[in-house]
Amino acid sequence: MMTIKKILRISITLAATSFFLSGCVSPTYVTKANEFPGMYTEKPRSLLIMPPINLSTAADAKDYYATTIEMPVALHGFYIFPYTLTAEVLKQQGIYDSELAYDIPLNKFREYFGADAVLFTKILKWDKTYVVLAANLTISIDAEIKSTKTSEVLWKYNGTVVVDLSGNNNSAGGGLAGLLIIAIVTAANTAAADYTRYAKVANGRFIGSVPFGPYHPLYLKDQDYKIIQQKTK
Amino acid sequence: MKINILIVLSISFLIGGCATSKPPMYDYGNYSESFYAMKRNPGEKSEGEWKSSLESIIERSNASAIRVPPGVFANLGYLYLKVNDTENAIKNFELEKNLYPEAEVFMNNLIKKAETQG
Repeated sequence: MMTIKKILRISITLAATSFFLSGCVSPTYVTKANEFPGMYTEKPRSLLIMPPINLSTAADAKDYYATTIEMPVALHGFYIFPYTLTAEVLKQQGIYDSELAYDIPLNKFREYFGADAVLFTKILKWDKTYVVLAANLTISIDAEIKSTKTSEVLWKYNGTVVVDLSGNNNSAGGGLAGLLIIAIVTAANTAAADYTRYAKVANGRFIGSVPFGPYHPLYLKDQDYKIIQQKTK
Repeated sequence: MKINILIVLSISFLIGGCATSKPPMYDYGNYSESFYAMKRNPGEKSEGEWKSSLESIIERSNASAIRVPPGVFANLGYLYLKVNDTENAIKNFELEKNLYPEAEVFMNNLIKKAETQG
């Protein structure tokens, strides 16, 4: 016969173990102000988007990224310098396709563009995976916002987003015919020009943890917003 | 009677509150699609479509009384600069600068460039 004490002891051990196990997977939450204090002290108003460094196997990733990144950052409230123009100017300076920009003193960008901060990005992965009934777009990105005043990192992100390309459209009905229709829709979706829409969705998710910029109604009101703490590499 | 009026008022307030949806911050139209098409197939045709996409963003934003997104006037000005229409180029660079003071340094540099070119 088990004594009550024994039962208690076992259940405490079990509880502790499950707490420990769940602790391994649950993320740590921090506030935006704690994680990125520089954004609130420097209050950058304008961001210069650097051409991304593409380390993925998808050659077209750079174009998809470049043509969809301006919108989410602008909708986050920042003044975004027009990418076509800035990319052209940077190209003339010989820093379009390389990591050279990282070594340039950032106050140069302040002098020529008047940019308060610069957004650097590395595309680590941009993979389309097809399964029978769905297609996913997996994007891994390393990103940093650096001050042009102090060259300090004001915000950083590294992470992976998986976007479901099948359009969440399950209205095709049941049965085999229904499944086939979904499969066809999926293939058509990923082949079509509206692929930029998915790139947009994926790109938009990266900037969720950035404090809002001056043109957003929540500018300087989101200090206490909880975000998932980034793992330091 | 008074209570009735109050109820009617509060109901209409509630309904009104639900119905007022905030306008979107910006209307980007098909900005990224036409931008991508131009990157993929550079040429007169895709550049023309990019230009009309920019013009339509300006029209639509003005029609719904929202701010034209950052960079749209500047992009348009740059297209004029490329075909040596310095007058329209400078006009659009000025519009960008007036709408977004953050753009002043860069726009002044572009205006200087346009003036020496023209």
